[in-house]
Amino acid sequence: MAEPHPDVASPPALAVSPAPHLRGLVSSARLNWSVACCLLPAAAWGVFLFGLPALRVLGMAAGVSLLAELITSLAWGRITVRDGSAMVTGLLVGMLMPPGVPLYVPAAASAFGIMVVKQSFGGLGRNWMNPALGGVVFALFSWSDSMSRWLPVRGAGSAVAPLAALRDAFAGGKAGSGGLLAVLGAHGYPWSATDGRVVTWVNDHVLSLLGASLPRGVFDMLVGTVPGGIGEISVPLLLIGAAYLIVRRVIRWQVPVTYLVTFCVAAQLFGGLPMGRGWLAGGVLFQLFSGSLVLGAFFMATDPVTSPLTLRGNLILAASLGVLTFFLRYFGTLGDGVPLAILLGNAVAPLIDRFTQPRVRSAGKGVIG
Amino acid sequence: MKRQQPFLSTGGVTPPSVNLSPGAQRITNASVPAFALIPMLQHAGTPASCLVRPGDRVQEGMLIGKADGARSANVHSSIPGTVVRVDRRAGADGTVSVAALVELGGEFDRTGKPRATNDWEKLSRSDLLARIRAAGVVGLGGGLVPTHIKLARQPGRQVAFLIANGIECEPSLYADVSLMRERSREIVTGMRICQKILEAANVVLVIGQPSEEELIPFFKEAFDDIARGFQMIGVSARYPQGHEELVRASVLAHAASNGVAHDGSECVVLNVATLFAVYEAVAFDRPLIERCVTVTGGAVRRPGVLKVRVGTRVGDLFEECGGLSEAPGKIVLGGPMRGASISSLDFPVTKGVSGVMAFTQAEARTGPELPCIRCGACVEACPWGLVPTRLHKLIQRGDVTAALAEGLSSCTECGCCSFACPSRIPLADSLRRGKRSGALSNNG
Repeated sequence: MAEPHPDVASPPALAVSPAPHLRGLVSSARLNWSVACCLLPAAAWGVFLFGLPALRVLGMAAGVSLLAELITSLAWGRITVRDGSAMVTGLLVGMLMPPGVPLYVPAAASAFGIMVVKQSFGGLGRNWMNPALGGVVFALFSWSDSMSRWLPVRGAGSAVAPLAALRDAFAGGKAGSGGLLAVLGAHGYPWSATDGRVVTWVNDHVLSLLGASLPRGVFDMLVGTVPGGIGEISVPLLLIGAAYLIVRRVIRWQVPVTYLVTFCVAAQLFGGLPMGRGWLAGGVLFQLFSGSLVLGAFFMATDPVTSPLTLRGNLILAASLGVLTFFLRYFGTLGDGVPLAILLGNAVAPLIDRFTQPRVRSAGKGVIG
Repeated sequence: MKRQQPFLSTGGVTPPSVNLSPGAQRITNASVPAFALIPMLQHAGTPASCLVRPGDRVQEGMLIGKADGARSANVHSSIPGTVVRVDRRAGADGTVSVAALVELGGEFDRTGKPRATNDWEKLSRSDLLARIRAAGVVGLGGGLVPTHIKLARQPGRQVAFLIANGIECEPSLYADVSLMRERSREIVTGMRICQKILEAANVVLVIGQPSEEELIPFFKEAFDDIARGFQMIGVSARYPQGHEELVRASVLAHAASNGVAHDGSECVVLNVATLFAVYEAVAFDRPLIERCVTVTGGAVRRPGVLKVRVGTRVGDLFEECGGLSEAPGKIVLGGPMRGASISSLDFPVTKGVSGVMAFTQAEARTGPELPCIRCGACVEACPWGLVPTRLHKLIQRGDVTAALAEGLSSCTECGCCSFACPSRIPLADSLRRGKRSGALSNNG
C-alpha cells in the first residue's frame, strides 16, 4: 500500500473491506428469533387451555429440534443453534400437535424436520421444504390416529376439534340445514358455558333489534376455546404476533392476505358442493377459524427460505395455496389440508421463481421507469 | 418548477446518514497542507505523464502532469513549493500510478491575488472547450470521466438535454448541496458555458427532495428563463437516485410526462461541482486543484464541509474537524455505500474524493455472514431489476457467463444489495468481482 507521508504516524488496525461500509439493521438471526417470540402468545394459550400435557409436547418438540440442530451442526464444525431457525421449527412442530399426542410423535417430527428435511440438504437456506411442516406431515402419515388426540378445553367438554366433528356430522348423514355451526349444534357438539352466555346476550340485546341471531359456538371459535392443535386455535393471539412481524417488515402482509382471501372465495363458492349444500354455502367463517389455517398463512407460508424471491412470485404462490388448501380440506382425507398444501407449495416455489424473474433495466439504454 | 414524484419506484435503500447542522454545512477553507501528494491518475482513463522531477520548483496551479492521449486529464500542483519525491504509489482503490510529493514553499501566485475575469460569452466554443481541457476538469460526482470528453464536439452530435446533477451521490455527503447554496450563480454560469459548447436545447437542474424547497430561491431567477430552455425538477433522493443513469432517466420521464417523448435523445449529465469547476476554468483559467469535501462519520468531532486542496493528507482533514473522538474502526474515501476503505490516514485527497469518513468501531462492525435465507431483500433493493443472490451463487460456482446472461453487466455496484441483506452476504463485492472476471474473459 501507500508509503506514509513524511510527517505523521497512523493509528493501528483500520478495517479494510469492500464497499458498502454500512449494513442494514436486521439480521437473519434476529428475524428468526422475532418469529419465535411472536409465536409464543398463541403457544401459551394452548398451555393455558390444555395444561401440562401441552407444555410437555411443546417442550419436547422445541428441545429435540434444538438438540438435533446442535448435533448435526457439531458434525459440520459450526454451531448454528444461535441463528434461531431451529427454535422456530421446534415451536411450530409443537404448536401443530394435538395436546394429547404421545411424546415420541413431536420428538420424531422435530428430529425428522431438522435432520432430514433441513440439515441433510445443507442447513438453513438450502432446504426446499419447511422443516416444521416436513416433520408434521411425516407424523400425520406415520401416526394419523395419535395426531387427532385432542384434549377437552380446561378438562371439560368435547375432545374433538370442531373441524373433525363437522366431518363426523356429515359422514353420519345428520347434516340438516343452516350454517355449519348450526349443523354442529344439531349434532350435539358441546360449546362452552361462556359461549352460551355471550351469544345469548348478544342475540338478546343487539341482534334481536335487527331481527338476526348468532348460532352457538361463534364465541368459542373466535376466541379459540375449542379443542385443536396446541398453538393453532387462538386466532386473536396469532394475529397479534403476526401484526408485529408485519409492522417490523419481517413478513409481507400480502402473502397471508392473498392466501386467506383466495381460500375464502374458493370455499364460499364451492365449499357447499361436497357437503351436498349447493353453491355459495361453504360456511367460510367457520372454516377460516378452524384448523391451522391462520397459523399456516401467517407463519409458514411466509417462510422466506421455501417461498419465491419476489413479491409477485409470492402472491402467485399464496393464491395457489388458497386453492390447494380448499381442495385438500374439502376433498382430502387428512382433514385440515393446510400443512400438506404449504408443503406442495414449497415444491413449486423454485418453478415460480423461474417465471417471475424481474425485468432487467439496463444502465445506458434508458429503458428505466 | 414542476414537482416530480419520487422517481425510483423500485429498488434503492435508505441507509442511516450523519446529518450536518446548517452551520456545519457551510463551506470552510481547509489549511494549505505542508505537503501535497499528487497522483497522476485521478480520473477515469490513462494516467497523465509526469512533467516534474525531484528538486523542481513548482508554482500553485502549475501543470505537473500532461494528459496522455484523449482519455486522460491534466494534473496541476495544488501548492507552490519543491518536488520532494516522484514515485509509484497505490491509490485508495488499489490502482498504482506515479505521484509527486510537493513540499510547501515560496509565493502563492493565485490565492489572495485579484482575479481577472474572462468574458466567456466572447469566447468561441472550441476556446471554451480548450480551457476546460487545460484545467484538468473531471467529473466530480464520482464518475471521474474527463469533462472535455463529455463535452467533445463531434460531427452530427445533437444533445437534447444538458443535465446538472444536484443530487448528492451518497448519503451523509453534503458538499454538492453546500456548493449549490453558496455558489448558485457560478453553477448556473457553468451550465450556460456547457450549453453553449454542446448547443443543447434544454438545460435541466435536478435536485434531491429534502433540500429542494430550500434551494429553489437560489436558482429561481436563472431557471425561470424559459427562453434559454432552463428547467429545474425535484426528485426523490433515495439512494442511489444520484446515479447518472437514474438522473438521466428521471429527466426523460419528466419530459415524457409533459408530452415530449425523447426516445434515444442524447443527454449529458454533469455534477454541480463539475459545473463549478468548469466556470472557474473558463472565467479565471483556474485549474482544478481544490474541491469541496464532506468530512464526516461517527468518530469525527466536528463534521463539516471543507474546501480542500488536492493532495492534502486525509489525517489532516480530521485534525481540521476537531480530531477524532475515538480510535476509528474504518476510514473511507468517498461515501459509505461506494467509497474505498483505506488502511492509513496518509492517503491524499484527490479530484474524485467527495467525502472522507471516519467510522467508529461500532459503525464499522458488520456481524457474521449467515447463509442466504432467500428473503428477497436484495431483489427488492436492486434498482436495476437484478436478482443479486442468484448472480452471487452463479459467480461462486464459476459460471460468470450465466450471470452475464441474467443481466450482471447492468450492475452499477451501488451496494444496495449488500446493505439490504440480513445475512450480511457481501453481494455487491461478489458481483463486482464477477463483472471484472467477465470483462477479462471477454477481452482475452
